[in-house]
Amino acid sequence: MNARASTKETALRAFGRGDIWVKLSALVWGAGCFARGQIAKGMLLCLEEAAFVLGIGLTWPFLMKLATLGTVQAERIWDPVTRRNVWNDYDNSFLILLFGVIALLLIGGFLVQCVRMMRHARRSQQRVQAGHALPRLREDAARYLGQDFHRTLLFFPVSGVTLVMILPLIVMILIAFTNYDRNHLVPTNLFTWVGLDNFRLLTDLTGSGAFAHAFPRVLGWTLLWAVTATLSCYFGGILLAMLVNHQRTIAKPFWRTCFMIAMAVPQFVSLLLVRNLFADVGIINTLCKQWGVTDWLYQIGAIPTANVIPFLTHPSWAKPMILLINFWVGVPYQMLIATGILLNIPHELTEAARIDGAGGLQVFRHITLPYLLHITGPSLISGMVNNVNNFNVIWLLSRDVYVTTDQLMAQAGATEVDLLVTWLYRLTQDQSNYKMASVIGILVFVVCSTLTLVAFGRLTGRGREEAFH
Amino acid sequence: MKRYGVLLLLLMLLTGCTPGTVEENASIPLRVWVGDNADVAWMEQVVRDFTAANPQRQYAIQIGVQNEGDVSKIILADVESAADVFTFADDQLNDLLIGGALMPIAEGAEAVAAANIPASVEAATGPDGLLYAYPATADNGYFLFYNSAYITPGDAATLESLLVRAAENGRKIAFPMANAWYLYSFFRGAGLEMQLSEDGVTNTCNWNAADTPITGVDVLSALLEIAAHPGFIEADSDAFVAGIKDGSIIAGVSGTWNASVAAQVWGEHYAAAKLPTYRVKEQQVQMASFSGFKLVGVNAYSAHAGDAMDLAAFMTGYDAQVDRFTMRRQGPSNTAALSSSEVQSEPAIAAIVAQSPYADVQRVGSKYWDAAAALGKIIVSGNPGKTDLQTLLDNCVAGITAPADQ
Repeated sequence: MNARASTKETALRAFGRGDIWVKLSALVWGAGCFARGQIAKGMLLCLEEAAFVLGIGLTWPFLMKLATLGTVQAERIWDPVTRRNVWNDYDNSFLILLFGVIALLLIGGFLVQCVRMMRHARRSQQRVQAGHALPRLREDAARYLGQDFHRTLLFFPVSGVTLVMILPLIVMILIAFTNYDRNHLVPTNLFTWVGLDNFRLLTDLTGSGAFAHAFPRVLGWTLLWAVTATLSCYFGGILLAMLVNHQRTIAKPFWRTCFMIAMAVPQFVSLLLVRNLFADVGIINTLCKQWGVTDWLYQIGAIPTANVIPFLTHPSWAKPMILLINFWVGVPYQMLIATGILLNIPHELTEAARIDGAGGLQVFRHITLPYLLHITGPSLISGMVNNVNNFNVIWLLSRDVYVTTDQLMAQAGATEVDLLVTWLYRLTQDQSNYKMASVIGILVFVVCSTLTLVAFGRLTGRGREEAFH
Repeated sequence: MKRYGVLLLLLMLLTGCTPGTVEENASIPLRVWVGDNADVAWMEQVVRDFTAANPQRQYAIQIGVQNEGDVSKIILADVESAADVFTFADDQLNDLLIGGALMPIAEGAEAVAAANIPASVEAATGPDGLLYAYPATADNGYFLFYNSAYITPGDAATLESLLVRAAENGRKIAFPMANAWYLYSFFRGAGLEMQLSEDGVTNTCNWNAADTPITGVDVLSALLEIAAHPGFIEADSDAFVAGIKDGSIIAGVSGTWNASVAAQVWGEHYAAAKLPTYRVKEQQVQMASFSGFKLVGVNAYSAHAGDAMDLAAFMTGYDAQVDRFTMRRQGPSNTAALSSSEVQSEPAIAAIVAQSPYADVQRVGSKYWDAAAALGKIIVSGNPGKTDLQTLLDNCVAGITAPADQ
C-alpha cells in the first residue's frame, strides 16, 4: 500500500490499524515523529500542542461561564485610607462571550489537529513499513517553501480573517440571543441568554408591538429604496452617457468633465451641502417663499404648513427628495461606466441593424441594452446590495432633521426614511440597544444574500455567456 | 529568492508592533474631559491652579474634549477606559447611574451640597439619595429672549401677545416644539406630569389624563392652535440661529448657546425673561421648563478615584466657577459666585433665575424622547392624519411609559 492510498483511510480506521505510536500521537502530537526518529519535528509539534493547550487553559474559565454569561455582579467599596475604589472579582459578560467563543474555536482547532496528527503518524508508519525514507525537517521546510508554498502564504490571511472577521461576526450574531442593551451594559451589569425573545419582538403584535410595527415598514422602504435608487442611477447614467456620446453632441469632453467634477467632490460634502440647501430654513425654501411657490403649494394642499416646504422633514416629501438627491449624486459614476461600455459595442452590430432598417429605439432595446446588461449585470446586483446598506445618503440627509410623526415607529427608534442599516445605527448609537441591532444586522444579511442569490441566478443564467460571442 | 522575501515581509507585518517601553513615573495620571473646545483654556487655568494648590503631589493631567450633551454614550461604550473626571449635562445622570459609571462623592459631599444652589444639588443626587456629581454651572436650562425693538416686556408676559406682535410685524416667535425637551414645558405648565418611575428606568406620565382640571386634550388643542398661528414657527437650533440672523425671528425659547447669538445680532435690543404664560381652557398658565446643570462626575472605575475627586471638587469650586463665568459667561451653580452683582446683571442668568420657580430637575427615562418628539412633530404638522386627540395622547403616553427593554 502506498502513502497516497492511505490518505483515504478514515481517521477511525487509522486509529484502529495504527501502532501504539499512532494511537499515542492523538494525545501527544509529536509521539509519531519521535518513534520514527524525527526528533526536531516532534518537538515542534509538541510545542504547537502546548500553545493550543495554553490558549485553551487561559480561556477555559470564560468557557465555563459561557452558559450563564457570568453571575458575579460588580461591586465597589471605597477605601478611605488608600483613597481608591476596591472592586470585587466581577464577571464581564462581554468578555465571557468573546473569550468563550475563542475557547470553542481553539478546542475545535485542537480536535481537528489531533485527528490530523494521528493520520500523519499513520502515514509515516505506512511509509516506514513500505521501506520509504521519511522526509527530514529540512525537506519538510523546503516543501512549505516549494510545492506547498500556497499553504505558507495562506496561513497569514486565514489567521487574520479568523481573528478580525469570523470571530467578531460570531460574537455579534450571538448578541442577538442575549439581552445586551442599555440596562445591561458591561462591566457594571451582566447580560444573559434570552433565546429567541428578540426575534419575537419583531413579529409579536401583542404588547406595545413597536418593533413589529416598525420592522415591515423599514424593510419595505429599504427594498423600495434599493431597487429605485439602483435602477434610476443605472438607466439615468446610460441615457446620459448616450446623450453625451451622441454624434450630434458638440464639445463632448466638456460635458463629460462637467459631470465628473460632481464625482470629484467627496460624497458626504455634497450631501451635507444639499441637505442645507433643502433645509426648512435653507436657500431653496427662502427662494420658494419669495417667488410664491410655497403659498401656491399650500393652497393646493401639497404641504401641511404655510411657512416651509418640508423637503426633508415630511415623509411624502423626504422619500422622493432623497431618491432624487441620490440620483444626482450617483448618476455621474454610472455615466462613466456606461460610456466605457458604449464605446466597446462593436460598430458592425449597430450598423448592420441600421441597414436592416432598425430605428434608434430598436437598436437600443435589442442591442445596446442587452449588451450593457450582460456586462454590468453583476455590478447592478452589487449596486443594489450596496444600496440596501447605503448608510451615507440616508443618514447625512435625515440626521437631526427628520422627526417621525409615526408614534409607534418613534417608540422603536425608527423613522419612515430609515433603512435597516441606519435604524441599526440609531439603535446602537442613540439607545445602546445592541441586542436589537444585532437582530437587525442578521436580517440585513438575509436580505442582501437573498437579493444576491436570486439576482445572480437570473442574470448569469445558462446560455447567456454565449449571447455575444 | 523571492519567496523568502515574501515570507520576510509577512513576518515583519506580524511583528510590526513592538511593545513600547513603559516609563516609570511617580506622577499621578488623570484624564479629564471638558464639554467644548472653548473650555480648554479655562481648564488649563484650573489645572495650573490645582497643581499649584497641591505642591506635595505630582500630577500628569491630560485634558480632552467630549461634548457634554452626549458624553454618556462614549463613557458607557467603554467605561473602563473613559476619563477619570468628566463634565456632563445633568439629563444623563440617570443613564450614567444605570451604567455604573459614576461613583458617589465619598469625601466632602455635605460641603458640596452646602455651597451650591439646592436645585443643582438635587440634579446631582441619585435615587438612593447620594450625591453622584459636582454641580458646575446652573444655566443649562431654557428661557425666553426677545428683540425689544418689536416687543415690550409687557408683550413678553404671554405667548398670545408675543404671537400677535410677531404676526403684526410679519415676523416669527420661535419654539422648538418638535423637541421633547421643550414640549414638556406646556404639559407641565398645565399641571400634567411626566417623570422617572421609582424603578429608575421607566417613566410615569399622565399627559392623556381626562380627569385633571386641565386635560391633556385641552393642552393639545391649545398647542395645535399655537402651532397654526401665523406668528409661530417651529425651529430647531440651526433654524433658530438662521432666523435670528436674517431678522425673521424676533423672539424665541432656547438656551444660552443661542441667546449669545441673539445678543450679538440684536445688540442693545436684546432682552431675556422667564417663559411666558399661555392660554389653555380659557385661562393663562405659566409655562414650566426643565432646569439644566452641567455636572462634573468621577469615573467609578478610575484607578485614582481619590485624586480624581480632588480635581473634580477643585474644578467646580468657587474660584473655578468665577473663572468660568469670566472666561465663558457660564452661570455658576455656586451660591456665592451666583450672588455677585456682575453675574446677576447678565440677562440670561437673570432670566433663568426668574424661571427657576417653574423649572423641574430633569429626571426622565430614555423612552420619553422619541415618543414626545413624535407628538411634537404631529402638532407642528397640524395633525395631518386628523387623528383623535385623545388617541394621539394615549399613543404618546404608551410610548413614554413603555418598558425600557424593548
